[in-house]
Amino acid sequence: MDKSKLPPAALRPVDFRKDIKPLFESKCYSCHGPDKQKGQLRLDRKADALKGGDSHAPDIVLGKSADSPLIHFVAGLVPDMQMPPKGGPLTSEQIGLLRAWIDQGAQWPDDGSSVSAKHWAWEPVKRPTVPTIDNRQAASGNPVDRFLLAKLAEQKLSFSAPADARTLIRRLYFTTIGLPPSPEEVATFEREFRTGNRQLAIGKLVEKLLASPHFGERWARHWLDVVRFAESNGYETNGTRKNAWPYRDWVIRAFNNDLPYDRFILEQLAGDAFGVDEATGFIVGGPTDIVKSPDPVLTANQRAEDLNDFAATTASAFLGLTLHCARCHDHKFDPIAMKDYYSVVACFAGVRHGERAVKPPNFAELQAKADGLRAQLATLTKQMERFEPVAQTGTNGPGRRPPVTRGLNLDRFPAVTAKFLRFSITATTQLEPCIDELEAFTAGAASRNVALASAGATATASSTLPGNAIHKLAHVNDGQYGNDRSWISNERGKGWVQIEFAKAETIDRVQWSRDRDNVPRYNDRLATRYRIEVSPDGMAWQTVATSDDREPFGGKANGGITYSAEGMAPAEAKRLEELLAARKKWEAELVSVTTFPMVYAGKFGQTAETFLMHRGDPMQPREKIGPGVLASFAPKLSVPLEATDSERRLALAKWLGAPENPLTARVIVNRLWHYHFGIGLVDTPSDFGLNGGRPSHPELLDWLASELIASGWRLKHIHQLILTSAAFQQSSVENQLSNRPDSRPMALDSSNRFLWHFPARRLDAEPLRDTMLAVSGKLDRAMGGPGFDLFEANSNYVKVYNSRADFGPTEFRRMVYQSKPRTELDNTFGAFDCPDAGQVAPKRSRSTTPLQALNLLNSPFALQQAGFFAERVATDAGKSHEAQTKRAFQLAFLREPTRDELAASTKLVKAYGLPALCRALFNANEFLSVF
Amino acid sequence: MSDLRRSPVGQLVNRRNFLQLGGMGLGGVALTSLLAEQGLLAAGSGPIRPEIDAARPYAARPPHFEPRARRMLMIFCTGALSHVDSFDFKPELVKRHDTPMPGQDKLVTFQGENGNLIKPLWDFRARGQSGKMTSDLLPSLGELADELCFIHSMTGKSNTHGPAESQMSTGFILDGFPSMGSWVSYALGSESQNLPAYVAIPDPRGVPQISTRQWASAFLPAAYQGTPFNADKPIANLARPASISADADSATRDFVKFLNERHLAQYPGDTELSARIASYELAARMQLAAAEVSDTRGESAATLALYGVTDPNKNKAGFARNCLLARRLLERGVRFVQLFNGAYAMGEGVGNWDGHKTIATQYPVHANILDQPCAALLRDLKARGLLADTLVAFVTEFGRMPTFQKGASGRDHNPSGFTIWLAGAGVKRGFTHGATDEFGYRAVKDVTSIYDLHATLLHLLGLDHQRLSFYNNGIERRLTDVHGHVVEAVLA
Repeated sequence: MDKSKLPPAALRPVDFRKDIKPLFESKCYSCHGPDKQKGQLRLDRKADALKGGDSHAPDIVLGKSADSPLIHFVAGLVPDMQMPPKGGPLTSEQIGLLRAWIDQGAQWPDDGSSVSAKHWAWEPVKRPTVPTIDNRQAASGNPVDRFLLAKLAEQKLSFSAPADARTLIRRLYFTTIGLPPSPEEVATFEREFRTGNRQLAIGKLVEKLLASPHFGERWARHWLDVVRFAESNGYETNGTRKNAWPYRDWVIRAFNNDLPYDRFILEQLAGDAFGVDEATGFIVGGPTDIVKSPDPVLTANQRAEDLNDFAATTASAFLGLTLHCARCHDHKFDPIAMKDYYSVVACFAGVRHGERAVKPPNFAELQAKADGLRAQLATLTKQMERFEPVAQTGTNGPGRRPPVTRGLNLDRFPAVTAKFLRFSITATTQLEPCIDELEAFTAGAASRNVALASAGATATASSTLPGNAIHKLAHVNDGQYGNDRSWISNERGKGWVQIEFAKAETIDRVQWSRDRDNVPRYNDRLATRYRIEVSPDGMAWQTVATSDDREPFGGKANGGITYSAEGMAPAEAKRLEELLAARKKWEAELVSVTTFPMVYAGKFGQTAETFLMHRGDPMQPREKIGPGVLASFAPKLSVPLEATDSERRLALAKWLGAPENPLTARVIVNRLWHYHFGIGLVDTPSDFGLNGGRPSHPELLDWLASELIASGWRLKHIHQLILTSAAFQQSSVENQLSNRPDSRPMALDSSNRFLWHFPARRLDAEPLRDTMLAVSGKLDRAMGGPGFDLFEANSNYVKVYNSRADFGPTEFRRMVYQSKPRTELDNTFGAFDCPDAGQVAPKRSRSTTPLQALNLLNSPFALQQAGFFAERVATDAGKSHEAQTKRAFQLAFLREPTRDELAASTKLVKAYGLPALCRALFNANEFLSVF
Repeated sequence: MSDLRRSPVGQLVNRRNFLQLGGMGLGGVALTSLLAEQGLLAAGSGPIRPEIDAARPYAARPPHFEPRARRMLMIFCTGALSHVDSFDFKPELVKRHDTPMPGQDKLVTFQGENGNLIKPLWDFRARGQSGKMTSDLLPSLGELADELCFIHSMTGKSNTHGPAESQMSTGFILDGFPSMGSWVSYALGSESQNLPAYVAIPDPRGVPQISTRQWASAFLPAAYQGTPFNADKPIANLARPASISADADSATRDFVKFLNERHLAQYPGDTELSARIASYELAARMQLAAAEVSDTRGESAATLALYGVTDPNKNKAGFARNCLLARRLLERGVRFVQLFNGAYAMGEGVGNWDGHKTIATQYPVHANILDQPCAALLRDLKARGLLADTLVAFVTEFGRMPTFQKGASGRDHNPSGFTIWLAGAGVKRGFTHGATDEFGYRAVKDVTSIYDLHATLLHLLGLDHQRLSFYNNGIERRLTDVHGHVVEAVLA
């Protein structure tokens, strides 16, 4: 290379933005920019550009333009590497500018792309010192308060006055368990609060609430938002997943039992390895398109969307990262390469949507028992063979043999030696014939199926229906049953398939089926007239069985294999009876030891190879990618390429739950904060990246994260710290003189990021419904099990969701037990910003709309519950309107009415009855909000 | 308030900081001065966030620039209307009838292998002064060809109904994204004081294939969900229940107001509380307004006949009443109306335009329902001067193959090239943009994506599709994702 040919470097100072970036943009980015990175070189981001491409890195050698490959390429010094390849070379002036820029140190203003760039969330969690605060409000010594007060003090602000006991207990109930306290519980707490040690009373109450089984119900609903869980498939068919609910119950139990958070992660990704199958409902909790097609592009796209959902939801839920942004190109903000994305995808390469049997604790024992039963049944079947009717060729039925069936059919004949077997069909129930498997067994003991391709046999056929991946000639002897692994001829009502054995074999039985599967599916395309011929050489053929001596199809007789002792000795008949009885018994036992409850928690199997998909297009695979984790984040971990499906998921889960991981603990403590205060310390709870929000209190966040890890990942410990803080107990009425919009705190922090008052907010849809039921006295507190349905039953292929108009006790359970369909919201509570589980919802929007008002005033549910509420009040309070009003206020607002409220209420009750008052109370702000 | 993500009420602006647009409709304000005041005309590329008063989520809000259209009607033919049998005339397809499509041997599409090219099942003829060729399948719409702006080169990302319907309505093939109507009502609010900003009108036969996702607000605030109702089925929970007298109802509401105002006095800083009081007042007005808009007793006999409201075919009559409802909503300033023709799949090709197997017998059924009422709606909008500031988009999820499916007498799905048309405010009349190949299989000239369509529609409504965004879970989400170019050629 003759470097002397390089144009000279420009002599003036070079400005990246003015001189270099436009050059890159016009000449380089079409191949080395955000969309394409030829040779893995990317020039639009500082970190990547300075790192260089695959083969020549670094392409830019700081301070040495003459040694920089980039300059060699643009100057045409390297044969066949003239850059840019199209659109003409750079001018000498332009090369001179580039050289000068490199010689001057390749100054490039920081664009946040640098992997080593400082970003608070990539830094290891360090435990900060708790600030010392000399302040009455920090008297409790709760570190949470000390961090908050330190920040407030910088602004010369402080907490608002503590809330009164009634407000506080109501607030604690709602944020912790999502239900209101009873008036009696309020009275007790008020007394303890007044007479005893307040902190003690609060501590006791918090302890009680965290121990309540309703705690798990409330917090499970939050988690289900974060992981887009719903109980239907989504897309247009949107059919129900009847067995998805066990995951919801698992989440409830996990929160109630305070399952350590690292274990919580582990079980959701790999619960199958720990006997908690339902936990992996997390992975497949999202939508999947079940509309399948022979079109390979559509099929590949559908699979890619499923995998994206698995990987992206995992990163979003546990890491607060937007991993899906690295599907088509490297992440534009965060240090996540495309390769990282596909490494995580590879961890799910063995996972598919669907149901799986839940293994009971004694699964191994049952499996051994099942294996024993199968062996016994195999021996028995062998013993029964002599009672199978032998096909009679040359006779004109209707014979002794059963009609053909979709399932297993048997043709037994005198032993014959042959190298070829031909199965010729001359009539079907309809359309072209379909055979899912054709088997030929050798005579005598140790009978083998010699028609199997794996035994060296080859299949040929008269024709094969084109264009269907599931119907192929190779499927006819692949040892797999069912319509999805079958052969179909391309001739209406006829066709033949022929098997050539590896060598001549002595056979005495042929078995075949159309759709041998446990679930009844396809009955069409069944061969009703056929003949089976054998040949030693493929030239001379001998018929060994036909359909002629079978009962006609569609008649009374059942298909399948029959046994008969007709014409045999009486002892033989008795023997057959014994054998049949034994078989029936063992088969029943086999069913009972192999049938387990199903759960929609994914199907696990072989890992398909994963490739980096160019621009995210599944039709453009590039290099193969092994399983792995995000390379830029601690701890370092490599997963072997040959890792099994289970090993991959376990590795990923362990990496997520490693204490060194800078994100995991921060993300979850922030979620807890978010749901307690309505806004997180980081206000983008599932995006801790460069594009997300900065923490309002970074030290507090880190302290809580380190506290979580130190406590053995116990979430209840963090809840307890937050709930017993003075911050949580302050009034929501803005500080002292701050009620006016122009007050100092408002001017300094109108959005209350420093938490100088408790943030009031409307109840979410679910606790709102639960609370109406609790107040009406109808709430059924039964936990767990299949959910109730807020929609009318419907069995259309494209499921139609019509909101129900009448409800009974079945629907009076907590709303977390609603069988939640995806992207369908019921017409009463759906208007209250209920996430629809089409996408993850780490943060609910909160709006106020006239439809909410109409729903609470007029919906059948609201009216019905107002009626029940009135009945309850009448029972409790008797006939006096005044007593009724008092009781109604107690139940709905947990307080006595004021004098004018009492007057107005009594007037309303007198004129229009108690239900009118109850209907009104359900619409009151005081009922609908936490404050 | 520099970063609205920080707002605890989900991007709704704190009322105190709200620039008081008051009750003024845009008509009363010099738009450019308003825009200048907010600095929105200044060059920039960042997101433009609508300033939303939590107490008046439907209040009219200024667009990003002077709009061509004030409101929009989207007519959605669910099931995928065949372009080669309706609006996209291909002489070569007629010529090569019943021969294999060249270069597409054994082509496998959604349902499997394809057979021969099949000419349109209905004859095409020249219409209007423009001489636009459209088929006899939809003759009344054909007569309006001089009003329409056809885009023959539309392409979509999916060849299966659910994702494709989602893309046309929400920009994404996945579930969980806001519909276009939600984006528009989020950005612009409404000019109607008492009706929902965004109304979805399902077909009399039922909801569309992806059901309520067609009008979902997804991660946008629930205030911007489409409100579904049609001529047969009023807004859910709108009416006062029969068991409650008018007097009892009004006394109850007064009492609620009394309680809420007392509560507000105790918690004076809470913007949500005042917003809720306002929402009850709007609800009361909406009860009256929604009843009024649905009451067609004041319509003339001629109008009713024009639409086909009294047609003996109950599906046609129902759709006709829906078309009339659409006009009445637009007339009253509703920002976005989505009118559906066709419902979910209740057997292939039964409830909608999905003509896989026997298109010759299925299509006349649907065409009879669509043609007259839809054409009447356009004529009526024009006659009343509404077309001057109303944008109409007639869309479907994708087109169909120029071939028949192998062994069947219908056409398979085809997102590679299909037809949609626009009409009304800001678009060229009697115009054709883009083209498919000689058979109508693939878009080849001025290929247009659904992103481009959405960018264009937003542009006509005065919105920059690159700046109308909402921060959700790490991404500034847009209707057009990271794509889309305004199709300048169709702008009048």
